Amino acid sequence: MEMIKIINLHKSYGDLEVIKGIDLDIKSGEVVCIIGPSGSGKSTVLRCVNRLETPTSGRIIVDGKDIMDPDTDINHVRTEAGMVFQQFNLFPHMTVLDNVTLGPVKVRKMPRSDADKLGLALLEKVGLADKARNYPEQLSGGQKQRVAIARALSLKPKVILFDEPTSALDPELVGEVLEVMRQLASEGMTMVVVTHEMGFARDVADRVIFIDDGVVQEDSNPGDFFSNPKNPRLRDFLGKVA
Amino acid sequence: MEFHFDWSVFFESIPMLMRGVKFTIVITLGGLSLGFFLGALIGLMKLARHAFPRTVAITYIEAIRGTPMLVQAMFLYYGVPMALGIRIPPLTAGIIIIAVNSGAYIAEIVRGAVQSIDPGQTEAGRSIGLTRSQTMLYIVWPQAFKRMIPPLGNQFIISLKDTSLLMVIGVGELLRTGQEIVAVNFKAFEVYLAVAVVYLAMTLSIAKGLRMVENHLDMKTTR
Repeated sequence: MEMIKIINLHKSYGDLEVIKGIDLDIKSGEVVCIIGPSGSGKSTVLRCVNRLETPTSGRIIVDGKDIMDPDTDINHVRTEAGMVFQQFNLFPHMTVLDNVTLGPVKVRKMPRSDADKLGLALLEKVGLADKARNYPEQLSGGQKQRVAIARALSLKPKVILFDEPTSALDPELVGEVLEVMRQLASEGMTMVVVTHEMGFARDVADRVIFIDDGVVQEDSNPGDFFSNPKNPRLRDFLGKVA
Repeated sequence: MEFHFDWSVFFESIPMLMRGVKFTIVITLGGLSLGFFLGALIGLMKLARHAFPRTVAITYIEAIRGTPMLVQAMFLYYGVPMALGIRIPPLTAGIIIIAVNSGAYIAEIVRGAVQSIDPGQTEAGRSIGLTRSQTMLYIVWPQAFKRMIPPLGNQFIISLKDTSLLMVIGVGELLRTGQEIVAVNFKAFEVYLAVAVVYLAMTLSIAKGLRMVENHLDMKTTR
């Protein structure tokens, strides 16, 4: 079953066209990594999926709902498609637990005690139950991102969108975040991950997609993608990052 | 003519000034409470997606900031009743003028503070399914409010001092009370000095109070 279907997506900022016609299907349970040079439009594609960016044209279907349809409740779609940001974007004025329970309490109208139980379970899952009463500023970057993952999970989404989740981290903190993502993948979570972590893409992804110059240049399984890339731009890119 | 500073006049005038202080405080508190709501509303309107509320907000802010408060007071108290055929009691007029005047400045404070919050905060709020207003209420506003406190403190002090202009519409506030005392004893130096000292005591209290609020908020979170 298709979780996300992107049809002929275009996105321009003024005269600058950053997405030049992208088609993409992501099935339920799939882990898809999107890689590409900076400025290639890969984050923009991800941000169009939950309409943080409004597509210029094209269609995006998330869990059967057309996000461009005026009758679609975009807030509901966003609860089905959680997002993890490069800069974490935790709420600094709330405790770690409140960061995780805000969605369940305000969006799902869950009673406080149930939300706290859920929040603590999710923090346990990312290994941070002992930080529940701390404020985000008291955490390391890796811990912040794990809280952000717990927050994204708090509404029990069907898919999680990761926008360069480890790019803002010190190298020694990348591993703990990837570990949590690996665990999610093994539990069957549908994941779309914009990343520069080639190792993660190779080991965890079911499919790897290379976006450059606003179009999909390559879309294949990790084996072929890394060992036998067909697209010359991808060969060039892999040569630079490897 | 020799001038002697008369301490007894200075000290005796202070209790007499308290009647005026009461009005000054009532007008300041009333005017600023209303002014804060008005300013928050206008400030958010200036950030609205639609052009109409933005235009209303900009017109209001420019009109108030671009004219002297003294003129606004005379216009409301003497001008408006002629057009509407109703009399506005001086105290009510004073509160309205402080509210309308401070509202324009507070609107700019609110707008600036809200705009200074990282757009990533709004994105994170929307990404968990919060509506626009929920995101403002639970995420942006609490963070912006903290940043508003120092400039709001400034505005509170300015508005408190501006209440002295209301003597022209006959509000019995602090400066007018001082003037009435001078009219009787002609001790302008002592009495107006006492008036100044009482204003200073009030503005210093505001500054102190705001520092306490800031420290309290700092203890609650670190950012």
